[in-house]
Amino acid sequence: MIMQLHDVTFSYRNTKEKTIQHLSMEMEKGEILTILGQSGSGKSTVLRLIAGLEVPEAGMITINGSTMFDQKTFVQPENRGVGMVFQDYALFPHMTVAGNIKFGLKKMKRAEHDERLASVIELVGLKGFEKRYPHELSGGQQQRVALARAMAPNPSIILFDEPFSNLDADLQIKIRDELRTILKKAGITSIFVTHDQADARAIADRVILMENGHILKTGTPDLILC
Amino acid sequence: MNVIRFIRLHVNSWSIMSIIFTLLILSPALSIFFQIFEKPNENWAHIQEFLLKNYIQNTLMIVFFTGLFSILIGVSLAWFVTAYRFPLRRFFKWGLILPLAIPPYIGAYTYHGIVNYTGVLQSTLRNEFNITANPAYFDIMNIPGAIFIFTIFLYPYVYIITRAYLEQQSASLIENARLLGSGPLELFFRVIMPISRTAIIGGASLVILEVLNDYGVVSYFGIQVITTAIFQAWFGMSDVASAIKLAGMLMAIVFLILFLEKVLRGRKQYSYSNAKVRPLEPISLSREKTILLFGYVMFIFTAGFLIPFVQLFQWMMMTYEKVVSPDFLQLIFNSVYVSLISAFIIMIIALVIGNFIRLSDSPWSKAVSRVTVLGYSIPGAVIAIGVLTFFLWLDRHLNTVYTALGIDAPIILSLGLGMLIFAYVSRFLAIGFNPVDAGFDKIGRSFTEASRLLGTSLMRTFFKVDLPMIRGAVFGGFTLVFIEVMKELPLTLLLQPFNFYTLSTKAFQYANDEAVHEAALASMLIILISGLSIFVFHAVLEKEKK
Amino acid sequence: MANKKFGFLSGLLSMSLLLAACGNNNESAGTGTASDEETKDAGVVNLYTSRHYETDDALFDQFTEETGIEVNVVKGEEDELMERLTREGEATEADLFYTADAGRLHWAKEKGLLQSVESDTLNANVPENYRDVDNQWFGLTKRARIIVYAKDRVQPEDLSTYEALTEEQWNKKVLIRSSDNVYNQSLVASFISLNGADAAKEWAQGIVNNMARDPEGGDRDQAKAVVAGIGDAAVMNTYYFGQLLNSEDAEEVKVAEQLGVFFPNQETTGTHVNVSGAGVTKHAKNKENAIKFLEFLSSEDAQGQFSEANFEYPVNPNVEPAELLASWGEFKAQDLNLSELGKYNADALKLMNEAGWK
Repeated sequence: MIMQLHDVTFSYRNTKEKTIQHLSMEMEKGEILTILGQSGSGKSTVLRLIAGLEVPEAGMITINGSTMFDQKTFVQPENRGVGMVFQDYALFPHMTVAGNIKFGLKKMKRAEHDERLASVIELVGLKGFEKRYPHELSGGQQQRVALARAMAPNPSIILFDEPFSNLDADLQIKIRDELRTILKKAGITSIFVTHDQADARAIADRVILMENGHILKTGTPDLILC
Repeated sequence: MNVIRFIRLHVNSWSIMSIIFTLLILSPALSIFFQIFEKPNENWAHIQEFLLKNYIQNTLMIVFFTGLFSILIGVSLAWFVTAYRFPLRRFFKWGLILPLAIPPYIGAYTYHGIVNYTGVLQSTLRNEFNITANPAYFDIMNIPGAIFIFTIFLYPYVYIITRAYLEQQSASLIENARLLGSGPLELFFRVIMPISRTAIIGGASLVILEVLNDYGVVSYFGIQVITTAIFQAWFGMSDVASAIKLAGMLMAIVFLILFLEKVLRGRKQYSYSNAKVRPLEPISLSREKTILLFGYVMFIFTAGFLIPFVQLFQWMMMTYEKVVSPDFLQLIFNSVYVSLISAFIIMIIALVIGNFIRLSDSPWSKAVSRVTVLGYSIPGAVIAIGVLTFFLWLDRHLNTVYTALGIDAPIILSLGLGMLIFAYVSRFLAIGFNPVDAGFDKIGRSFTEASRLLGTSLMRTFFKVDLPMIRGAVFGGFTLVFIEVMKELPLTLLLQPFNFYTLSTKAFQYANDEAVHEAALASMLIILISGLSIFVFHAVLEKEKK
Repeated sequence: MANKKFGFLSGLLSMSLLLAACGNNNESAGTGTASDEETKDAGVVNLYTSRHYETDDALFDQFTEETGIEVNVVKGEEDELMERLTREGEATEADLFYTADAGRLHWAKEKGLLQSVESDTLNANVPENYRDVDNQWFGLTKRARIIVYAKDRVQPEDLSTYEALTEEQWNKKVLIRSSDNVYNQSLVASFISLNGADAAKEWAQGIVNNMARDPEGGDRDQAKAVVAGIGDAAVMNTYYFGQLLNSEDAEEVKVAEQLGVFFPNQETTGTHVNVSGAGVTKHAKNKENAIKFLEFLSSEDAQGQFSEANFEYPVNPNVEPAELLASWGEFKAQDLNLSELGKYNADALKLMNEAGWK
């Protein structure tokens, strides 16, 4: 098991009802999981909890065998070894593609930076774009930079928050197939959050269906989505 | 709520620094406001009966019309400069900010000097054309005159913020409106004004705050508003309690305005988009319209900058030999020195508080952001007394500490420049904080989150990601604070250390003695230095855009 | 790394604060709260003044040259300087408070900001009615509040007293500045003292009725308004009239030349006179130097310079006023101890408010 949530409860400030209620789930290494649900179901909150961007009220979170959260522990996001691709990509506009990708490589030796940059750039197929700034790229290219940036530090797990919602339809189909290929090739454990069944079917090994902070169903895409 | 959650949410170095800064800034205002609960005395009855109604009426009238005209002028100029081509457009882009370099009280005495009986206008008519016009036509020392002075020297606040906002708007929005058959007027009132609402309100509230706590212009023109009443009660009647009550009323008006701003701004959220927004390209107009447009822009620039500048220049030449001395180098140095230090400190504090508010969105962090404006909402002299009281208190207590430690030569805080700079910081924090706050608002939180998930701590993220992304806003805030301190008068007058003069106090020393011509040199230097900093600010921003 | 950066940030901040706090120490007063022994030989005198004249600066320099005592100055507005003195209390560094209105000097005394001074020189140089009864402050220069009139429209015979300005023939013809101004407050205070509050209020009411326009601008503006034809006569200080006559601007000189000077109430109570003066502060750390300084300013030499360069009448009876002032003739001043001006200041202000004097 690479990641485990146990009985996690969470609510945002100023809200009465719990956004996440007694949620438990686990993942195997290399698995691609999709969390599917309507907006307000709490699916994005799960990602934020795993990433450490929100603090649970109760429960336990472990990643790669170490405890990230329990009654005594809270590991800051920067120390969790989790990567994330944001809905709006959040590429640093004042840095080049190379700068963005190398941003997370602090733990590696300097000499290895360029090597790592070259290999992830190659993987996402953006060779020759290293010196460009984010605003000089198309939406699809930006998304691939965001992926490369998240992959570069070798995280235990990568989280995708509605990664396709900013792309037009043809691009969306093309990219999500590409993405699955890349992730499988690199053997990266990943969670996708989406509201689109087609996305889930195309990319996931396993699907979790969420509603009102609960897990409704879980299983293979074929089983859940009919 | 468990402890870890609380700590995670509320305690980090940012929050601690923010609280400390806030308390420090609040202290002078507090030391005044503890006196607010004193019982009204017979002076208060007198003030109520004979003065209050008139004072409030005048105040509201000036505030309302200055606000209205500043918006009309500021927004129209911002729109013309962004959307149309006309001669000297590149110059006017920053040239239209220049009136901000002229302190309104200097503008007031300059204009009075131009239009009064011995001024260039009437004397030319008299001597060259032998026309003796009715002097009443040239009277500007009244409420309309004050509205004119405030509008023409303060509209740049609206202009700067609105122009920056319009430049980020997508061209398609405007093009759409044009395709839907909007004429230019309709476009302006039905599209431009509504979409720039937030920016307009932000700029206008700065204008209104400046007007509300102005003392120089209204006292020179002899107009009775709440600030003059405060001074009359405090100094004329020696009645601190009544003065505080009036200051309290002024603050109530200020908070009402800020509240309205918040309501009007609504729940609008900015977001920083990576998507390419096609910027608005200026279009060319017909010949006649271009001339008309140029005429309007030139008129405002002339009234707000050229006329006072030329007049001051002429006076400067007239009195140059009498006034100039090597001391002026020291004056320039002093002015620039305190302005730079104050602006620097304010921007650091603004960044700390701004970042804290952004990271923790608890209600009391919102309260902190409101507090920053406190110093800007009270007349400068009132703040000054608060600061003085606070520092004297501090000195007394430090003295005990010194004695206990057996130290002989204590630092007397209330003597040094530190007190003056503290007062500037306390007063102008809002000016530096607003752009920083808006900057943080615009970038949102996802960049910070992305950075942290890439293994970067909060502090490092701040320096590597947040700061570079809002540096334009920081630079803008720095420039505004620099100019404000440069122009500042009442605080400086009250808290200056021995033998410490600035250009502003020098100009005042002459102007106060009705020696307006002699004040010109110091005034010119203030305007030149402020104008230069506006130009540098503009040049850096333009360069960054490329 | 993170903490280092933060430490750097706050270090920078506190450093700049400290820098600011200490930066000016060596230039400033410098005596600190050190013990009395040291301060006696400090060789400085610290001055709070609301007078901003170059001539004053020149006199200060001359004093330093003659005595070796350095003069440190804070220039502000009178009321605010008094407030600062009050708040500073014992901690104040100021040895002298110097301002251009006897009313304010009296206030400073009332608030316990000043102390009595025994000096034969001062007693000899400053006549009794121009100094405080307890010698807490000393007048140094005099100004008369006169009536100026348009020479082409008004004959000097038409003028007689301040009171006459409230008569029907002056309806819409009188110019005077606002009630915010201390000189007007002291003028009305002198009437309260001489004629009683009712008469003073009647006068204020009469003036308001006869005003040519709502009060605006300074003393010089009133003079200009007379020449512009807005009114026929204006109340102003001799000092400002002197300034106008000697302006760098030819137009202003022209204005002054069209005006006549009239000293009112010569047959009755006398023309209102106010003084600039100074007193030693209660908590002065350099009292002896302060007294020396006052003695210097009241000396014949300094008094002559006040008059020549700044169009003020000397208080020292041994000194003749400058030529220009002398050309306006001698005049009878109000017979009044100027402390009265301060005593009735608040009453005067209220009474003007009640009369609708803006």
